[in-house]
Amino acid sequence: MSETTFSARDFESVHTDEAVQVIARPSLSYWQDAWVRLKDNRRALFSLYLILALLAFTIAGPWVWTVDPQTQDLDQISRAPGPAAQATIVAPYVPWDGSTLAPPGTGLRLAEPATTQAVRLLWEPVEGARGYRVYRNLFPIGEERAFGLPLFDILDPLDTSFEDRLDLKPRNYFYSVVELNPDGEPTGAHQTIEVDVERVTTLEEAAAAGLVPEGAELREGDSVELAFHPLGTDYLGRDMLARLMSGARVSLFIGIFAPILYILFGVVYGATAGFFGRWVDQVLMRFSDFVVALPFLLFMILIRVASGVQPGESGIAPLVIALVLLGWPATARLVRGQILQIREEGYVSASRLLGAKTGYLVLRHMIPNTMGVILVTLTFAVPSAIFTEAFLSFIGMGVAPPEASWGSMCNEGIKTMLTYPHELIFPALFISITVLAFNMLGDGLRDALDARMRGTE
Amino acid sequence: MSALLTVEDLRVEFDTYGGVVQAVRGVSFNVEAGRTLAIVGESGCGKSVTVQSMMGLIPMPPGRITSGSAKLDGAEILGRTRIDGTSIRGAQIGMIFQDPMTSLNPTMTIGAQIAETLQVHRGHSRQQALARAVELLAMTRIPEAEKRAAQYPFEFSGGMLQRSMIAMAIACEPAILIADEPSTALDVTIQAQILDLLRDLQRENGMSIILITHDLGVVARMADQVAVMYAGQIVENGAVDEVFYESAHPYTLGLNDAMPTNNPDAEQVLTPIDGSPPDLFDPPKGCAYGARCPHTMRICGPNNPGAFDLSPSHYARCWLHHPDAERRVDGITYREAAS
Amino acid sequence: MGRYALKRLVQGAITVWFIATATFFAMHMVPGDPLASDKAVSEKIRANLEAKYGLDKPLLTQYGIYMGNLARGDFGISFTQENRRVNDIIREHFPVSATLGILAVVFAALGGILWGALTALNRNRMPDIVIMLLVILGISVPSFVFAALGQLTLVNINNLLGFSLLPVAGWGTVAHMLIPSLVLGLGTMAYLTRLMRSSMLEIMNSDFVRTARSKGVPAPRIFTHHQLRNAILPVITVLGPSIAVITTGGFVVEIVFAIPGLGRYFVQAVQQSDYTVIMGTTVFYGAFLVLMVIIVDLVYGLIDPRVRLE
Repeated sequence: MSETTFSARDFESVHTDEAVQVIARPSLSYWQDAWVRLKDNRRALFSLYLILALLAFTIAGPWVWTVDPQTQDLDQISRAPGPAAQATIVAPYVPWDGSTLAPPGTGLRLAEPATTQAVRLLWEPVEGARGYRVYRNLFPIGEERAFGLPLFDILDPLDTSFEDRLDLKPRNYFYSVVELNPDGEPTGAHQTIEVDVERVTTLEEAAAAGLVPEGAELREGDSVELAFHPLGTDYLGRDMLARLMSGARVSLFIGIFAPILYILFGVVYGATAGFFGRWVDQVLMRFSDFVVALPFLLFMILIRVASGVQPGESGIAPLVIALVLLGWPATARLVRGQILQIREEGYVSASRLLGAKTGYLVLRHMIPNTMGVILVTLTFAVPSAIFTEAFLSFIGMGVAPPEASWGSMCNEGIKTMLTYPHELIFPALFISITVLAFNMLGDGLRDALDARMRGTE
Repeated sequence: MSALLTVEDLRVEFDTYGGVVQAVRGVSFNVEAGRTLAIVGESGCGKSVTVQSMMGLIPMPPGRITSGSAKLDGAEILGRTRIDGTSIRGAQIGMIFQDPMTSLNPTMTIGAQIAETLQVHRGHSRQQALARAVELLAMTRIPEAEKRAAQYPFEFSGGMLQRSMIAMAIACEPAILIADEPSTALDVTIQAQILDLLRDLQRENGMSIILITHDLGVVARMADQVAVMYAGQIVENGAVDEVFYESAHPYTLGLNDAMPTNNPDAEQVLTPIDGSPPDLFDPPKGCAYGARCPHTMRICGPNNPGAFDLSPSHYARCWLHHPDAERRVDGITYREAAS
Repeated sequence: MGRYALKRLVQGAITVWFIATATFFAMHMVPGDPLASDKAVSEKIRANLEAKYGLDKPLLTQYGIYMGNLARGDFGISFTQENRRVNDIIREHFPVSATLGILAVVFAALGGILWGALTALNRNRMPDIVIMLLVILGISVPSFVFAALGQLTLVNINNLLGFSLLPVAGWGTVAHMLIPSLVLGLGTMAYLTRLMRSSMLEIMNSDFVRTARSKGVPAPRIFTHHQLRNAILPVITVLGPSIAVITTGGFVVEIVFAIPGLGRYFVQAVQQSDYTVIMGTTVFYGAFLVLMVIIVDLVYGLIDPRVRLE
């Protein structure tokens, strides 16, 4: 302590009767407090917005994007996401006999520019060959000589032209012509050409598909804009965005509605057990133990079969029923535990002492004090219901085509996963985002509502 | 008698969500060999943090020792306790905690937990250590020690668990035993037994004890030396009689008035201390007790008092002892040789 | 412990009875006569079934016969395949599913414990952040996407290497098992990692760990003897339900990787309305899962003395 000098004034008593107790902050109700906590949790708030956006996508989406999810756009099957495509107008198809004036050059070559209408190939006769086999591949021919899709066997060495009209897409193909030996077996000697196919359509087709703008005079060589599919199309040419929206209705309906139902049931069941106690509790909880022991997914399927849904049919109602029948015990057990605990609390005894009736006790004390736990359970139940729907639809035991759900879309998408990954990625992404959002919101809610968690980060 | 443990100007901070908490703000004390120092104070005053930081037991981060030293037999232990703390913790300083129910590993037998200390420090084999653990349990007056050693914590009562904790802490015959509220969580009758046990053990093997408590009754019963802590500082320090009968700090007086006595004849009115301890996120510039003190003076607001010696072994941090202050406050003992 | 085990086994037997009963009555709720459906059941099978179950007899009698058969371990005869016993189908396909499932459970449990402990020890540092991001991914992505991606990755790796590092589909060798069981265990591993992390964080702040430190126990020993042993307990309690999730979740993996397991067979049976196979498989799986939960509980008892000795 430095030797500062103090004056006598410094040692005058200053004590007053001012209240030393200060209230640090205004008191908040349980739910206000929880809301403040939730708002502080950036992740939880973000997931809340995400869920609202998903609901908007599901409910308002079809008003904005009015494309019919069932309509097949046969011009654009399995189209990757991207801006609208152009197609050049060409003359209607005329059959070809291979006798067109050959363009100059030798070897395997195109007789005329390749279009989605037809790819016309020409080559020179090979001496000693019995015939030719024409292949089409999506990738360059490597060392292992995988030529791809065999299109046709020509069994005349002098017939050296081929026209491919099989499901042509506007992309690059690798055509190979392999010589056949006298036994009709490929010899391995081959010529390969890379072909860039242009997207074309005829005036008639364009008009039929409603692509010709009103009042426009289109001629051959002009181009028209094809139907716009921002997220591409599936293997039947259906618009992915529209299907995702219609699938969202099914997935979110099952994912939200079924948990609400079974949690309601669980609350009533658990509250009954907890409130009455003794043998009622014993019997009810024993039964719930049995239901828990049922193998979940097998019984989901079993209930579907039992409700008479034939394989290949869509069964949304049985799915919801099965989820309700099998989903409730966890909530029941939780609510029972809460009620048992609250029943012993001082404020309940006090209320009872003041003459409160059973119904009042339940409504005023028990339900409000379990609401937090119930809300958290509900939030975590949604992702698991969505997963269950997706899983069952994926193995063909849930929602079946033509009806769409995210799960059934994954089921269809996985078949074309290697060539058109967007058909699997989009529905899978929507499932993942939804599940993630509900999980994060659940974490946030639990932290905000659980009094025991308070004080720890 | 020379000091066994000397702590100088220890300061500890914690980074928390709300800011930096200055939990310990320049604490100094001595512990003499074979004697008992009691550190008294209300919850949150920093008494546990003081000893735990010394032992390297506070989590770092968020905790941080910003300055100070602690010398055991002349050798610095601060900071070292984290690096090779194993040679000090358990071997030279033993420690027991407030809640014996949660302070023992629920999946290990009591015997194995006591033996662990010996295996770690003395290099005993498991058999050797277990045998010694049974002896230690017997020393702490646990009946059927052999059978008990093979049991798990959940099979023990609270008092028994605290005895086992003591057995564990003294297994390596440490020079100092730190007892952090050893009897707070126990029944009153058990409390007395545990305190007696500690005193008997001290008499037998001559160890020093640092006793942390908020119970002045316990202090009176156990301590040779008392340090009263408030808001991370020691506000009064002295021999037990000095602090009790010649209290020199208003806070000590306040504590005394708030405590029931054992004397049935005394017509005692318990007086609570109004208000609550200051916010350690932003400790007051002056005396931390100023806002609650009935004798606050103008000087107390802006200036933190230094230590005013009342005797070679007794000091108080209070402006009332400044030569310029009027010496009229009831209950406060002033330094006699002032005139 | 012996009495406890016995009690659990009796409880388990009652549970299996409940599962069988629920299955029986669920299947008898199928509208119409399953035998008269458009899936023409051959005369021979019909005769076989009538002889075995007395399909013309009252429901309760049929139930009695069914339960009697089950008690003898007889699951009946396939609906669609003449004279093929459900027992044989299970015997043929279940070991495949069980191997896949057990590998996945082991993988998920070991991974979950390891990653969970690692993240807790490195809380809010790089390993924690990276692993927890992966965990969020593991929890949010459906299992069939993992299966598809797993297969896709394998195809690409094999293409890149120019030879088959691991087979893309099928069953038979250890090489066939690795990727499918890894994929199957991923979701559960993510869940267990989260659980282990929070359990470990709680234990790390517990009083008894502080006690161990105050005794001067070195950090590695504190980790093995005090933290790990106690932090694992919550993970073990959820292992039972996890086995159920994994074994039934195996359906998807079996379908994607063309593994001849019972799950794939079950899905086929549903598509063919093979009611006896559906019933038999359900009851068998139910019994298997009940047994697994009991085993897990007993193992838990071995680790936690509080359960063992009460």
